[in-house]
Amino acid sequence: MRLYRRMLIVLSSIGLISGALLMSVNIFTKDRIASNRQKEIEEAVIKVIPGTKSSLKIYEEKDFTVYQGQDDQGNVLGIAINTAAGGFQDKIFYIFGLNAQLTKINSLFVLDQKETPGLGAKITSAEAFLQFWEGRDASQPLALRKPAVKKDALAPNEVNTITGATISSRAMLTSVNAALERIKKLKQEGKFSIEGSNGD
Amino acid sequence: MATRTSWEEFSKGLWLDNPVSRQLLGMCSTLAITNAVINGIAMGLAVGFVLICSSLLVSLVRKFIPNQVRIASYIVIIASFVTIADRFMAAYFPPLSKALGPYVPLIVVNCIILGRAEAFASKSTVARSLIDALGMSVGYIVALLILSSVREILGSGTILGYRVLGTQFEPWIIMILPPGAFITLGILIAIAFQIERKAKQRS
Repeated sequence: MRLYRRMLIVLSSIGLISGALLMSVNIFTKDRIASNRQKEIEEAVIKVIPGTKSSLKIYEEKDFTVYQGQDDQGNVLGIAINTAAGGFQDKIFYIFGLNAQLTKINSLFVLDQKETPGLGAKITSAEAFLQFWEGRDASQPLALRKPAVKKDALAPNEVNTITGATISSRAMLTSVNAALERIKKLKQEGKFSIEGSNGD
Repeated sequence: MATRTSWEEFSKGLWLDNPVSRQLLGMCSTLAITNAVINGIAMGLAVGFVLICSSLLVSLVRKFIPNQVRIASYIVIIASFVTIADRFMAAYFPPLSKALGPYVPLIVVNCIILGRAEAFASKSTVARSLIDALGMSVGYIVALLILSSVREILGSGTILGYRVLGTQFEPWIIMILPPGAFITLGILIAIAFQIERKAKQRS
């Protein structure tokens, strides 16, 4: 009986101490982690809408947040959509910028992902993937292209896949197309409004 | 065990009892993450931190823990350190946390840490456990460095992202895929055993 009691006491106290320790670590770091994430999104908005000085959240639903970016005079330069793609392992959180008419993608930036390191994780690399999104035509659905098969210049709505990471590339494409459709529909329904004068 | 000098205690982790090439522990993470050198370094450092902290704590409390619940206790201790490291990095070093993100929770089940807690720290003094953990960490980092360098050079033609093989070099994609990990690890272990055998024959 004494042994059982001792086992119980030791394991419970280890559990309690660790629990208390983790709780205090969480309280201590929670705000900082949240503010880091917020700062990261703000910086990303500025990155994907060239010339932006300040950003403003104009629409929000689950995994789909829209920001508008404006310059010093309050001219709206474009919008940024923060959304998630169904990746290989987990959701890929990313943000991409559009011009105010929703016809052109400025650039795309991955915020958080858990794709296979060395393969799918190349979606965060500018050289391997992100550069192909710059200046894409958003007025029609985008398409993927395997760079190893066709070597000539990309059409305005085409994006190169990553060799060996077709699933991750396709997940991004499907998600961007869905987001484009959604934002256009939201605009038609008048669910969000771009405030300030249109500087584009 | 008591007859070993501190240097022997430390250096056994580098070669004689190297966690990767001799103990074959923690193979899952070793195989999975070594497709780029930066991943190998990051994982090595993170495992090193948790290994040193948990070895220290386990050897401190080893006399209080009843034998029957020792494994459960070690896991709780290790998991706590991993979570603390994870939260701390997310709060103060966001870029590092981003790079290591998917691997950090995996450290809990890395059997090098549990293995050293069970086989060494639970039977040894605090100082010896610390030396042992240091040696094992260095041995683990070195093994990951070698493995990931071979795989990154052949699989991507780069090292730490810098191109070392010319642009006409066609990367062997298989080297950054799981089979490449097994091939490289197998060859490295064979080389290590061969060196060991030659050394024995000579003496």
